[in-house]
Amino acid sequence: MAVFGLGRTAAAQTGANAPVPGTPPLRANRVTKSYLKGSVIALDDVSFDVHANQVTAMIGPSGCGKTTMLRLMAGLEYPSRGDVTMFGQPIMGPGPERGMVFQAYTSFPWLTTRANIEYGLKLQGLAKAERRERAEHFLELVHLEGFANAYPAELSGGMKQRVSIARTLAQNPALLLLDEPFGALDAQVTWEMEEMIIEIIERENKTVVVVTHDIQEAIYLADRIIFYTRQPGRIKADLPMAFKEGRRFRKKEEMLVHPGYVDMERRLYAMMREEIRGRVS
Amino acid sequence: MAQGQAGGTPPSDAASHQGDAAPAPVFRPPRQPFLEVLGSLTQRRTVVLGVAGVIIFFAVWEVAHYTTPEEKQRFLPAVEQVVAEIAYLFAEKNFIADVGTSLYRIYASFFVASLIAVPLGVFMGCFVKARALISPTTGGWRYLPAASFAPLLLVWFGPTDFAKMALLFLGCFFFLVALILDNTLAVQRELIESGLTMGAKRRQVVGITFRAAAPAILDSMRNMIAVAWTYLVIAEIIVATDGIGAVMMRAARFLHVDIMMGGILTIGVLGVLTDISFRIASRLLFPYLRVRR
Ligand SMILES: Nc1ncnc2c1ncn2[C@@H]1O[C@H](COP(=O)(O)OP(=O)(O)O)[C@@H](O)[C@H]1O
Ligand SMILES: [Mg+2]
Repeated sequence: MAVFGLGRTAAAQTGANAPVPGTPPLRANRVTKSYLKGSVIALDDVSFDVHANQVTAMIGPSGCGKTTMLRLMAGLEYPSRGDVTMFGQPIMGPGPERGMVFQAYTSFPWLTTRANIEYGLKLQGLAKAERRERAEHFLELVHLEGFANAYPAELSGGMKQRVSIARTLAQNPALLLLDEPFGALDAQVTWEMEEMIIEIIERENKTVVVVTHDIQEAIYLADRIIFYTRQPGRIKADLPMAFKEGRRFRKKEEMLVHPGYVDMERRLYAMMREEIRGRVS
Repeated sequence: MAQGQAGGTPPSDAASHQGDAAPAPVFRPPRQPFLEVLGSLTQRRTVVLGVAGVIIFFAVWEVAHYTTPEEKQRFLPAVEQVVAEIAYLFAEKNFIADVGTSLYRIYASFFVASLIAVPLGVFMGCFVKARALISPTTGGWRYLPAASFAPLLLVWFGPTDFAKMALLFLGCFFFLVALILDNTLAVQRELIESGLTMGAKRRQVVGITFRAAAPAILDSMRNMIAVAWTYLVIAEIIVATDGIGAVMMRAARFLHVDIMMGGILTIGVLGVLTDISFRIASRLLFPYLRVRR
């Protein structure tokens, strides 16, 4: 991370499990995940690498296993077969080096915005002065300076998600996992939040995996889109957003007029159509 | 039915009329009937209606008394007689000591019950194996009627305060555990998971769960202490010499209906005051729940 990078990398936090040189931040290695004694196969033999400092979006029809894959990465669940590794080490549980933002509001209602952001830092044993300083930085990053002392009940849905994002970034994760973080927000707020995420990624240089069901959002945020088939979840397509030519759009409308965007959107809609054809949601 | 809305042709195009001199006439919504679905009420009228309900209750009681044939009126004394009897008990019979004893029994036994039930409920809510081990037993205990333990406790502990408080404890403890377990299980899963992804260890996860469930736990305690009050009289029947229940039992022997009703009324008032204190405590302990934009 740009500002507070020293010392608290994934390697430092995973301790004994030193990263294996030359391995990607995340690797899904022949991952199968089944539920209900195998009667539901959420993911079926899925393999891919997440590349460093890229935004990887996972998209697909509802119930295709996107959330499941993200939870395996977070260590909140374990695969039935295969494994998910972080810098070569199998993920054996959740940890602060993999920060996650959920669709549901998860800021602690009994803590102010600032205290919520400081919570993870306290767990990491940071001194008060440093906690305060980092909290200020991330308050500013998500544009909540004026709400530092507000409780979640006083905040709008968009602001609550900003708190969650700030709190997760403050713990300085090597990986940022987002599960439909704007799914509960209305369209205009979502749009503002998407642009904020781009701004943050530009400033903090993170490896991000984001789950979404919104095609436009996926194209806007991602450097690469992984498209899943529906039940059992397999990778249908792995699409680099080549039309962006390595840059990101600060404003969404700049992307909307790009011919490459229009083509990509059409392709993704066609895939989605294929997946949902003949099925009732 | 259709009210308001002055006639005339609507403006042909969408337009705002900020420059116009006269504002549009005030809209009169239909009158709310008493039984309005999703109705709204000012705080003042809420209080007015609540007080009205209490007045109606006492009025019905009063009417019942004066319509009872005279020779039987002593079995249903008037409100003012009961109130006078309470005043007399306080002034002449040191009733305050009995009230104090009863309050002590209730609060002490409920405090001990909570002291065990809250950690136990949260513990079971956090750890599925602990729940599987303990919950069927504590859950089953709820179906053993606490009142039927009265004679047993008397045999075991004699006519002591301990026996009475043990009964109060049995009356609310197992329900309290079950309610607090539910409160803990109702904590949003993502709240705990986000704690885990921030690096929370077991101890901190328990802390998060407890903090998240705390307002609901206090509510459960408020509801359960009401049940403890209902066991008070039963507890004080066990060879009691003091306490509100004992005073009432003594009065029953001499058919002093006004004293018995005075005791019931006193317990009712104390119960309501307890309820109010819990609500105030909730406001003080969880101010963050009440702030709204
Ligand atoms: N805990 C669970 N128990 C049983 N089935 C589950 C569980 N979690 C997910 N599933 C099933 O796995 C499939 C994939 O779920 P999920 O990853 O949530 O899909 P998505 O996020 O893509 O909509 C769905 O069919 C879902 O019903
Ligand atoms: Mg999902």
